Order: sequence, then structure tokens, then C-alpha cells
Amino acid sequence: MNTDNQPCPRCPDGTATVATVSPSGNIWTVYMCRVCHFSWRSTEPKRRTESALYPEAFRLTAADMAAAPDVPAVPPLRRNP
Amino acid sequence: MKSKVFDDLRGFLSELDRQGQLLRISEEVTAEPDIAAAANAAARLGDTAPALMFDNVAGFIKAQIAVGVHGSWRNHALALGLPMETSMRDQVAEFIRRWETFPVAPERRDDPPWAENSAEGDEIDLFSLLPLFRLNDGDGGFYLDKAPVISRDPEDPDNFGKQNVGIYRMQVKGARRLGLQPVPMHDIALQLTKAEERGEDLPIAIAVGNDPVITMMAGTPLEYDQSEYEMAGALRQSPYPISSAPLTGFDVPWGAEVVLEGVIEGRTRELEGPFGEFTGHYSGGRKMPVVRIDRVSYRTDPIFETLYLGMPWTEIDFLIGPATCVPLYQQLKAEYPEVQAVNAMYTHGLLAIISTKKRYGGFAKAVGVRAMTTPHGLGYVKMAIVVDEDIDPFNLPQVMWALSTKVNPDGDLVQLPKMSVMNLDPSAVPPGISDKLVIDATTPVAPDVRGHYGQAAHDLPETAQWVTRLNAMLADRI
Repeated sequence: MNTDNQPCPRCPDGTATVATVSPSGNIWTVYMCRVCHFSWRSTEPKRRTESALYPEAFRLTAADMAAAPDVPAVPPLRRNP
Repeated sequence: MKSKVFDDLRGFLSELDRQGQLLRISEEVTAEPDIAAAANAAARLGDTAPALMFDNVAGFIKAQIAVGVHGSWRNHALALGLPMETSMRDQVAEFIRRWETFPVAPERRDDPPWAENSAEGDEIDLFSLLPLFRLNDGDGGFYLDKAPVISRDPEDPDNFGKQNVGIYRMQVKGARRLGLQPVPMHDIALQLTKAEERGEDLPIAIAVGNDPVITMMAGTPLEYDQSEYEMAGALRQSPYPISSAPLTGFDVPWGAEVVLEGVIEGRTRELEGPFGEFTGHYSGGRKMPVVRIDRVSYRTDPIFETLYLGMPWTEIDFLIGPATCVPLYQQLKAEYPEVQAVNAMYTHGLLAIISTKKRYGGFAKAVGVRAMTTPHGLGYVKMAIVVDEDIDPFNLPQVMWALSTKVNPDGDLVQLPKMSVMNLDPSAVPPGISDKLVIDATTPVAPDVRGHYGQAAHDLPETAQWVTRLNAMLADRI
């Protein structure tokens, strides 16, 4: 079980920190990317955990993240709530 | 005969077990991909699929995960306290009958089993509390996707009817942090907008692992001031048990396994998703609201109830199918008593089939358009197929007959430009906007004199008698 920070498989600049470790048997670690919020368990299939195998359709670039819309949009503040 | 009533998930799991509708999997499995793949596979077993209960998941201690609890017509019937062989059509009819007994006042109880354990603030660790796992390859993380969220109207917080109970997907983003998706057409989005206009957070409670009826109600598009608890009482034909959550004071299911309380942080948006949605497509990454959890209350060794969703049909379609048909039927029938039945079970009512008598030419088109302006229709009902009163909208071969013979595109298609639709519809451009289509598959009536429908063939008058006779002969043969 590796508890060091990991590169994010989904976004190019992301670094993931340890979110939790298996309560029993040192079997897995869950990582969470501080940039794109992707999380994964170390024992998942490699198509989800390794950058080289991560599906193209789900990769995120900095531009994708910047362009992501607010859902729902934040409304204007009311002057007299 | 009074039907069976279940006050919590454990009671219903015992019933599923008694009826042979619960498969316990005690061999060790991996959190991923085993649990989601097994739940996905159960959905492929069809209308009789059992629920699955996992109690030996690698790396966890005492984890219990229930999936597929509503995942077949059999389980849906048992959830309503009906015999498990009750047909889907009869389940919808019984749903309608019970709906008409709304409201049934809830029963307040003081001794919720979830009060047994609690944690606050930085003691909270959702990863330790629940055996979280990923569903689909492209999901952004682990989700709560079957947990009713309770919230109140910030401008009318003491109004019990406006207290909302709805299911919204929530991505676990930290030990006490979630992302939450409020589709703009859903009630929680109205409440969040009011809070955010005032510069406030929106307090919420989240109930994980419940009796089967409140979960159905949390997925039902009720009117804004209709209480899900009072409708749950109608549906189970018995007052629904609720208790006050300790931090928010909100009314939550007495029987829940886990109750999380906190706030949707006002005016905050953060990248969330994607998540494989009920449309059978992933939602793209959007910036969505964030939840901070401040208190958790939970049973000892709680059961994590969740559902798999992906390419339809899966559990979510059984869960929200009838619950979508009934309010649309009730709202249409209130204004147009000619409406006979509504089948809105396809992708949460993105497509609805409505059977109706006709008052005069053009009437069926008006019914189709009206379905699009019901509260649920505003975000769904992209297509309405309207058929004659003698067509059963749940009988798709009959519907196909109507489409193939009653429809002439010259006059039977009404295309409404740039209407509202929920933003998860992958065909919408931009997300949230789509043309909508009424297909009038009814027989034209005066003054609409198109076509040659004067010589329709009908079942012979003696046929019904022969159906009975043949069925009796077949039964005797066994």
C-alpha cells in the first residue's frame, strides 16, 4: 500500500493525496486529486488508475475545467432579503 | 386486505429474503469492479431480478452493501406490499388508487435507531462511515445516488408541505464534503436559489438506507407544496414514521440507517462529475454546489443502500417509472377527464405515451402539449405520443400499431421550438434547451376529417367470452 501522493490519471497537472486507507489488511488506498476532484481506489482496474490507460473521452484539461459551466447558475444577491 | 408495511430497510430486506428476492453474496468481492458489475448484471436478469446484499468486501470491516432493492417489478410490488407477481400495469393502477388517499399525516417518533451513534465536525469521516465505491468507468468518484435529501423553503421554513424530500446525486469529495447536483427543474434548486439570493447557506439532511416507499416518493415529481411524507403515508396506507434530525431539526425518516446533516454552501460552485446518469449517458463535468457535513448520526454497522445505473433499464427505471406515470396522469386527468392512462416510464418521462378520448378535432394535440407544461413536463416530456382511448399505453405493440396506422406526418406532428428540458438530456442544444414533439397517433375526429378511418376492425363481441373459456381450458390442462 502506497501512501505517497500520486499523479492524477485524469488531469495532466493534478496531484492526488490520500483520502483514506483500507480499514482492514492494508489492501487499498483511496486517492483524491486536489485539482479536478477525481478519486480512485488503488485496486481498481488500471483503465481507471493509470494515466496511460485512462479513457480519452474522460480526460480533463485545464481548459475543460475552466470552461465547465455553473449548474445551476449563482443568482444575483437580493438587495433586501 | 391491508398490505404489508415496512418501516425501514432492514424490514424490507427480510421480506425480500422470505420471498426469495434477496441474494446474499458472502464470498469476498472487490469494491471495484465487482459490486457495480454484479448490480449491472442483476439488471440484465429482467423483471424478476433479486436485490443483492454484499457483506464481505475486500479491505472493509463489517461493510454491508444493498443494491437492486427496487430493481425489478417483483421487488417493486413487494415494496408496495403487493403480491410479487402483480403485473406492472396493476401496480401502476394500485399506485393511482392509493395516491388518491393523499394526504395521510405522518407519525412522529422519538426513538430513531440512527440516534445510536453520532459524530460532529472534524470527527466525521464519510469514508469510514460508508463502504463507498465507484459505479462506472468514467465516474469522477464515489457517489451517494439513492439517498433522500431533506431541505426547507428559506422563505417559509415552517411549511411542512414545502419541506422537500428528493434524491440528487452526490459525489463524495472529502471526509465531510460532497458535491450535489440540483437539476434546475427540481425543488431543491428553487430552495437553493432563494437561499443564495439572500446570501445564505441552505441547510440539508441526508437519509441513507431507507424503507422502500420513501425512496420512491423522493423520486416522484410531486407538486412543490405536497409533502413526500404525507404521500408516503398514502402509498403505504399507513402513517409514515418521521423523527427530528438533531442539528437541523428537519423531519427525516425514522428508520434510516444513517442521517447526515449540514449545509449546501451558498454561492459556491466546484467541478463535479462526470457521472453515468439515468439517461444512459454521462453528464459532462460541470461546476456544481458543495455540501459541508457537520453532524452524522448512524446505526451500529449501518447498511449502505445504493443503486447501479447505466444503459437502461436498470434499478432506477423500476424505481421512478410508476412514480413518474402517476403524477402526470393525475395532473392531466384533473383538467382533462378524457385522459385514460399515462406511460411515462422511459428515461424518467423524457418520452410519455398518453391515451385519451377526444372531445373534438385537435384535442389530442392539446393534451400532448399540456403534458409538457406540467411541473414535471417542464424538464422532461420531450416527446408525447398521444393514442386513442382503446390503446393501452403500456402495451407497446398496440402503441406501435397506432403509430404505424394513425399517424400522417402531414398534420400529426407538432414541433415546439426551444423548450426547456433538464440539462442531462444529451440531445439538448445548448444543455437545457430542446425542441419538443407531440405525435398525435389518435384517430382524427370532426372537424379534423383526415384519413379513412370509417372501417376500423374491432375484436368480435364474443371474443372476451372466448378469452375466458380458453384460459379456463388451459388452466384445466395443468
